[in-house]
Amino acid sequence: MRIRGALAVALSLGLVLTGCSDAGGGGGNATITFWDNNGGPGRTPIYEELIKRFEAANPTIKVEYVGVPSASVQQKYDTAIAGGSTPDVGGVTTSYLANMIGQDALEPLDERVDSGPLKGKLLPNLVETVRQTAPDNKLYSLPSSGNLDVIWYRKDWFEQAGLTPPTTWDELVDRATKLTDVGRNRYGYTIRGGAGSVFQLLTEAYAYSGVEKFFDGTTSTVKDPANAELIGKVAALYKKATPEADVNNNYTQMVAQFTGGSVAMMHHNLGSYSDVTKALGTDEVGAITLPVGPSGRKTVVPNPTDGFAVFKNSKNPDAAWKFAEFLVSRESNSYWNEKVGQIPANTDVRSEAWIEKNQPVKMALGVLEDKATRIVPAPVYLPEYSSITKTDSEPAYQKVLLGQLSPQEFLTGLADKLTTAQQEWEERK
Amino acid sequence: MTALDSRPAVAAPRRRRRQWAPYALIAPTVAVLAAFLLYPIGSVLYYSLQRYNVTQPWKNGFAGLDNFRRMLSDDPLFWQSLLFSTKWVVAQVGLQLLLGLALALIINETFVGRGLARSLVFSPWAVSGVLTTGIWILLYNPSTGIFQELANLGVGDHGTSVLGDPATVFPATVVAELWRGVPFFAILLLADLQTIPKDLYEAASVDGAGRWRRFLSVTLPHLRDAIVLSTLLRAVWEFNNVDLIYTLTGGGPANQTTTLPLYVARKAVDSHDFGYGSALTVAGFVILLFSSILYLRLSKFGSRA
Repeated sequence: MRIRGALAVALSLGLVLTGCSDAGGGGGNATITFWDNNGGPGRTPIYEELIKRFEAANPTIKVEYVGVPSASVQQKYDTAIAGGSTPDVGGVTTSYLANMIGQDALEPLDERVDSGPLKGKLLPNLVETVRQTAPDNKLYSLPSSGNLDVIWYRKDWFEQAGLTPPTTWDELVDRATKLTDVGRNRYGYTIRGGAGSVFQLLTEAYAYSGVEKFFDGTTSTVKDPANAELIGKVAALYKKATPEADVNNNYTQMVAQFTGGSVAMMHHNLGSYSDVTKALGTDEVGAITLPVGPSGRKTVVPNPTDGFAVFKNSKNPDAAWKFAEFLVSRESNSYWNEKVGQIPANTDVRSEAWIEKNQPVKMALGVLEDKATRIVPAPVYLPEYSSITKTDSEPAYQKVLLGQLSPQEFLTGLADKLTTAQQEWEERK
Repeated sequence: MTALDSRPAVAAPRRRRRQWAPYALIAPTVAVLAAFLLYPIGSVLYYSLQRYNVTQPWKNGFAGLDNFRRMLSDDPLFWQSLLFSTKWVVAQVGLQLLLGLALALIINETFVGRGLARSLVFSPWAVSGVLTTGIWILLYNPSTGIFQELANLGVGDHGTSVLGDPATVFPATVVAELWRGVPFFAILLLADLQTIPKDLYEAASVDGAGRWRRFLSVTLPHLRDAIVLSTLLRAVWEFNNVDLIYTLTGGGPANQTTTLPLYVARKAVDSHDFGYGSALTVAGFVILLFSSILYLRLSKFGSRA
């Protein structure tokens, strides 16, 4: 009798457990799970507000918010895909979108966009970077925000020293050296030497060299001597005009140095807008685009594009899409991008008043709109891209900073791997 | 039926019941072990023979010994990380044993405030791994940590980053782990020290043995099994140590502090190359298994003369 009772309990428990995921399926009330791919004190409250608005407008849909830290989100998605426990809708950036497409986890969104109010309202530049990540050129993520690499600088320090912000890399080296005062714990520049270093480095290298294509045929142009020249210039600043700890710098440590008031210039992107302005105030901090090299050409390696993906596994794909569409609607997209200081994907937002007042976003829009700007997309669509640029290359770049490897050797190694991966990609296409 | 007739009829079912009852009783344990021990080990062995990368599913398939071939002949980082792991284990276990023994001997003596001294010695052991690294990251922070304070006092340079300099990153990491590891030895050895009969020391003193002689002839032989077992346990733990090094240095700069398990994490978790990561894990497992057997044989563990 007791055994039978225990069995009954176990069975009903199992039913409850499996039943959970079915709750709200098919018609009527629906509960969808949403993963924020960059959860944290900066962004979570903004999503909470947007979810409140969405639920008020759609009383039959309930959104469960899950904030995932950006550093581990790709791994969390991979695990969820392998285990079949993906959310209904999730924030994704183009840096790992190709991986997820390769695992057949996402729904193409082309038809949904074309049959809804967002048709023709999305910034073509961003739509294109999303499409490029897919072998079939379909849209697997609804773009919400664009991003651009910038150099954040301390306006007050520059004023005190009577210096103007740099427009060329040689000027940057000059300003960095002049603003360094080790005794006062002040450094002119900070290098991202740890996690995430190589992507930033590539944007710097192409900004300097003005090389207009990432691949010449299938051969990577990364090893261009001008790219190596720039890396040599940056590495020469290490320890002279940057903190020694920079060799291990990840995003958090790098931003902490800048917001903590020990660094004059920091290369990151608009993504750090709220961190930087909250700590130092909008009057003390300015943003400039990456300086140019001797060619004078403005070349931009575009930053990953943020967006929302609907998962194939979803039991409520329609509700999931409705939420994604809501997040990129004029009002939500404007609210979101004003708060985080990024480039709105919804073109209707550009007439909003806040854009005029937000110097970094306005400047970034200016760069993207400028006809002379050359866009050099990094091959984030390669399945090996993250493994090549992170696992293999980040320690190698640390060797460059420590003087154990020459910039040219470093780039040649990186370029060879990218070339092999690109050739395989072309063959598979 | 007579009593005589009925006896075998009763005994037979009872014997049968006795046959399955023990198995039924250990079945839950066996099931749990199989689910949480045998299955993971088996799956790692299985994947080590596969090409398995979630980002390139079209390449997945049976790889035979390819992963191992690549590891042994085509991957300098495997050898480098293995060498570093060995260096790390030897330094950690050696220093932790020496310092732990010294501390255990001190707090085994009678002195005023011994209770407080004992709790202080053991306290780092009670701190979680992530907190430990948090403490040391702050201590080593170049602009707020101890080296900034020292520089303000005129000792050393401003901006010294011990974790960024290849010359100091190893000792700095070793010190942080020692802080956490020494109490382990101190606790174990103190417990064993207290089981040594006092009359042995008295007899040795009567025979004219000084402090050092008593330590060599009474204390050390008595501690032998405890030392052998604790060093072995600790060596395995230190070999597999990921949390402290990962949070403190991430294996850097330039792979200078990449241990084998850290390399596995990077290959499997970051690069999604689970096939190769599994092969590296199998290599680590085999190395640990054989060194443990060898160590126990050489130290003649449990066969006190």
